[in-house]
Amino acid sequence: MAFREKIAWLELGTMLVAYGIYFGIVGPAAGFGERRMLDILWSFGPVAAAHGVAMIVGAIAIAVTAVKEAEARSDERDRAIARRGATIGYFVLIAGMILVGVVMPFSEPPWKIVNTALLAIVLAEAVHAAVVLLSYRRGWHG
Amino acid sequence: MGERRLSNTIRTLRFHAGEMTQAELGGKIGVTRQTVAAIEQGKYSPTLETAFRIADVFGVALDEVFRWAED
Repeated sequence: MAFREKIAWLELGTMLVAYGIYFGIVGPAAGFGERRMLDILWSFGPVAAAHGVAMIVGAIAIAVTAVKEAEARSDERDRAIARRGATIGYFVLIAGMILVGVVMPFSEPPWKIVNTALLAIVLAEAVHAAVVLLSYRRGWHG
Repeated sequence: MGERRLSNTIRTLRFHAGEMTQAELGGKIGVTRQTVAAIEQGKYSPTLETAFRIADVFGVALDEVFRWAED
């Protein structure tokens, strides 16, 4: 398995766990900031920080087991796959931003808008990682 | 006309080049071993530049490496 494919697995796995915890457990427990907007910071912040730490530790662990691959520059296939993932992830992000920036302000309270924006960012990154994985697994003919 | 896909003879060319490994070929053309494997399996279509580099490594014409195959 390519080094960058392992990193994509790590990214998708840590993201689903971390933000699954936020949107499934921590967020609801904090009322998603409905009572106090600052609650979003205190509930989402630690989850995002934990996700960041898990990514760093995981990436180091993967790099240690494949030092040569980790040091190698990305080649044309890696770059083509990364572009494909970024392009599709971008459309998910744009759709989410249109929803939270253009549609929701007319009808929804701020705490819902903030959480929907966070969800859109998480979904866009998850789609990005999933597309990268699928491209490595099933092939890429760009 | 049936669906056409790009096939290649890289595996055979590597064999005739003294069992050149995928990593060795990758090193000569500037891609990773995994990318050479993906090209061989038809999972990735290389850029024109890389295709010419592969042909250069084996000293053959481009159409001796890559050709259309009917499904």
